[in-house]
Amino acid sequence: MTGIVMDLRRNRLMLSYLIVALLLVVLVVAGGFLSDRFLTWRNVGNLFQQLIVLGMVSLGQTFVVLIGGIDLAIGSLVSALTVFLANFLQWRPDLVWVAVPVALIAAAGVGALNGILTVVLRVHPLIVTLGMSSVIFGGTLMYRKEPGGSVPRAFEDIAYANVGGIPVSAIVLVVIFAIAGIWLQRTRSGRNIYFVGGDREAARLNGLPVDRILVMAYALSGLCAGIAAIFLTARTGVGDPRIGAALTLQSITPVVVGGTILAGGRGGVFGTFLGVLLVTMLNNLLNFVNVSSYYQWVIQGLIIIIAVGFHTVRRR
Amino acid sequence: MAPLDTPMPRSRSVSVASIFERFGLMIFLAALLVVAAVASPTFLRPANLVNVLTIAAPLGMVVIGQTFVILVRGLDLSVASLMATVAVLATAFRATTNDAIPMIFVAAIAFSAVVGLVNGWLVAKRNVSPFLATLAMMIILQGVRFAYTGGAPISTLPPGMGFLAAGRIYGVPVNLITLAFLAIAFGIVLHRSRLGREIFMVGSNPTAAFLNGVAPNRVVILCYVICSICAGIGGLFLLGYVGTVSNWVGQGYELDSIVAAVMGGVALSGGRGNIFAALLGVAVLVVINNLVLLLGFPIEMQLIIKGIIIIGAAAFYRTRLT
Repeated sequence: MTGIVMDLRRNRLMLSYLIVALLLVVLVVAGGFLSDRFLTWRNVGNLFQQLIVLGMVSLGQTFVVLIGGIDLAIGSLVSALTVFLANFLQWRPDLVWVAVPVALIAAAGVGALNGILTVVLRVHPLIVTLGMSSVIFGGTLMYRKEPGGSVPRAFEDIAYANVGGIPVSAIVLVVIFAIAGIWLQRTRSGRNIYFVGGDREAARLNGLPVDRILVMAYALSGLCAGIAAIFLTARTGVGDPRIGAALTLQSITPVVVGGTILAGGRGGVFGTFLGVLLVTMLNNLLNFVNVSSYYQWVIQGLIIIIAVGFHTVRRR
Repeated sequence: MAPLDTPMPRSRSVSVASIFERFGLMIFLAALLVVAAVASPTFLRPANLVNVLTIAAPLGMVVIGQTFVILVRGLDLSVASLMATVAVLATAFRATTNDAIPMIFVAAIAFSAVVGLVNGWLVAKRNVSPFLATLAMMIILQGVRFAYTGGAPISTLPPGMGFLAAGRIYGVPVNLITLAFLAIAFGIVLHRSRLGREIFMVGSNPTAAFLNGVAPNRVVILCYVICSICAGIGGLFLLGYVGTVSNWVGQGYELDSIVAAVMGGVALSGGRGNIFAALLGVAVLVVINNLVLLLGFPIEMQLIIKGIIIIGAAAFYRTRLT
């Protein structure tokens, strides 16, 4: 019985992967016809360079959504970290090796705090992370209201470095997604995330340390936001207190497009990866055919509704 | 995602805890007022008080709507975006005389109702989580609005809108009178009518409501429509107060309205709450905001305090009721 259920579940996920992959192919072909600059090596390189920021925040969101939560603090956290990195590196450009670990630890710490507050106060993560987002944003604005700071050339290389024409950031992204995928599917601790997300009470009754797993998922989400912030700061070269504002919403789109169910326990990072590709390529193409960013917002909203409506209705 | 709460029998005994539970927010507000009066001599000046209340009124209107949605286990993150979009819609008439005001209101309410209908339809019929449905609606409205205005501010408004939003009758702000009227009207709907009882039933246990002959989907959709209409009206009053549509009118009102409602004891798990307590939450919020400014703290401090309050208030009511 459980075998059949598992098969069905896997097939349905496969179906959404197939659909997204098909859309990707359609997009590439349509892009090739609509714009002669879309399929150039230069644009593809650019595109892969940009993937990492959206990719990392979406990966973090995937962990949290899989466990049945949501992280609305991602955008504020990324903004705050870019402000920290740019201002710290302007002050001491030689201390990159200090700034990066500090940023990552702080990011994971904020994530863990989200998880701890959810677990200890038993408040819905939506409220905890919304409140945390407001606190972080306010704190960042109190420190710096305008974009500022600068980064040394060596730090910029993090975003722009190439190996044989392939952006290092894209390689990093693929490797991290692969590790995340293997961890979630093939290891006990990874599968525990599905277990807790699918049925928290059953997981508790089976003796899993549910609270610890929850906190770990939120800490991972924070860590991913930290990695995104490092690449974002390296690319833009400044710390902008508002740069991440749109990222919170953007991080959710690839997750739901990739078939991860908001109720938790179902989905995976592969779908998210396809979702990131789809969203990034779509926006890239829309820029090339001169669709204003205003309509891109509308399209993003419609994508969310269609993707979620599609998955939830099929579930019934 | 919310656990199925079973309604608990109300305790009849009078204890310190129950008094605190019933009047906690009022005590908090009173204490806050005392602190404000002591900390800043400007606070109790009539000009400042009226000013605070004038700012509070549009938020109050949004909170009324947000309460309806939270009561049926929902959440509306599109209210702020809707406020700005309705404000843009109001200027689209390019009206310069007061004759156009009724038309503006009718158009705004109709538009808001459609938005609420779509939100409600997605949540009730398509099973989309309220958070995602309204988040998507937020960004769609934002895109439509910016595409129409091209990002530029507009300020063609009938002069009467300014009077509605910032004017006074015998010293009482007109928008406050409007808020009181809306609060009483919707208060009667929620706490004294059959529809109100159905809303509480659906919020506390949709299955039981269904078995009792209530159509949960219809009730949920109606709540979203009410919420959007309240937000639309709030948008018009805020527009009149600000005088110019900046495309971001009402920004932050989604968080503020949820903060106020949660502070007022509206349970996020649905089925529990009171409109007038939620409005008391608005009062607490605007007094805190005002106090931050009067004490000379940077305005960003408001964001930090709000964030802490929403987590704290949600935790406070949660631990108390379980």
